[in-house]
Amino acid sequence: MLELLVILICGSILVSGVLAVWLDNLMAAMVSAGLASLFAAVSYVLLAAPDVAMAEAAIGSGLSTLIFLYAIRRTGGGRE
Amino acid sequence: MELTGSILVLTGAFFLFSAGLGLLRMPDTFTRIQAGTKASTLGNILVLAGLGFYHPDWALKLLVVAYFVLMTNPLSSHALSRAAHAIRTPMAPSTMVDALREEGDRQGNGDVS
Amino acid sequence: MKAASSLLAVLLFGAVFAGIVGGYGERESVSALAEQYLAMVPRELGAPNVVTGILITYRGFDTLGEVAVLFMVAAGVGVLLGGKDTTTASEPGREPRRPSELVGNGAEITLPLIFLFGAYVIKNGHLSAGGGFQGGAVVASGTMLLMLALPATKLNHGFLGVTESLAGVVYVGIGILGLVFAAGFLDSHILPLGEFGTLISAGAIPVISALLGVKVGAELSVIIDRFRN
Repeated sequence: MLELLVILICGSILVSGVLAVWLDNLMAAMVSAGLASLFAAVSYVLLAAPDVAMAEAAIGSGLSTLIFLYAIRRTGGGRE
Repeated sequence: MELTGSILVLTGAFFLFSAGLGLLRMPDTFTRIQAGTKASTLGNILVLAGLGFYHPDWALKLLVVAYFVLMTNPLSSHALSRAAHAIRTPMAPSTMVDALREEGDRQGNGDVS
Repeated sequence: MKAASSLLAVLLFGAVFAGIVGGYGERESVSALAEQYLAMVPRELGAPNVVTGILITYRGFDTLGEVAVLFMVAAGVGVLLGGKDTTTASEPGREPRRPSELVGNGAEITLPLIFLFGAYVIKNGHLSAGGGFQGGAVVASGTMLLMLALPATKLNHGFLGVTESLAGVVYVGIGILGLVFAAGFLDSHILPLGEFGTLISAGAIPVISALLGVKVGAELSVIIDRFRN
């Protein structure tokens, strides 16, 4: 059961990572990258590493997404 | 005790399921956000309450988590729908009245949202 | 040609990863090194949470290096993005939207909770999952919420800079104290171990953890604020 869940979540990491590369809309790509981080944090919790999960959830899906947001805004809102 | 907890968790799961269903079936962005938020807030809190019946010693932590869900979930959906309204996301054709835009028109500026 | 070579690269990666995944077997017992750490950390350091014990004491120099890297990042971001105050000029003819009252009030309610959680994570690093780095990240995400929900807030960079510099100096000072009074640099035995499993125990680990938390939280907050304006 746990293995199935871990495999499912790893698949979600893959899908959102590919989406982050694939999407043309920079905002959507940014959210997708943050989502990949969030799934990674969940998988860390399932694999019994709550310390790493906490750092990943706060930095990976929170702070870096926000920094991307500000960077996209400064460079022209993601419009070509 | 455990039976009550299980029933609560099951009810919460039903509401979470209906939230997912609402996300798929509703006609436009705003109704989707609304369906997802309301049902998932209730579902989350029911699941937490059920967990509280299972593990009474977690009660305080679960209460904090429930408070957090209660505070953040409606707020985030409010921010989302406000942003969607500001970029003029199209509404379902059956929408009768847009109170926020009328409020903006009354104040002279078209975009106070 | 380009497509073919990328396809080849993907296939090679796939072959490598397939080998790794295929050869994966779940470990039934912990390895010898892990077993030793699991026995040694509670006995020698008095910390129930093995991870934090290792990070702060046995690998203390690594942690110091990590914090130094973060400091360099903050300084670099400050050099690149600081300096002139480029108040984000909104496009002409379009007023920036007023921030929502609801979101502002909600943030004011949840922010103390988030900072309290950060402090809890920092202070209980040696007892349960967490520690200085994680708690600092939680505090910084609280700052992030503050900036998103109440855009008018200004961070006091001078205060934050002084705080994190002081935390860094005290951190290195504790390391040197360890060199003088205990076995080596950043040894946590300069304070008594105390009772196992209580809040004030495990030698200097809670102190170092708190310093790390303050430092990381202040640095990350400054980095975000630099990006904001």
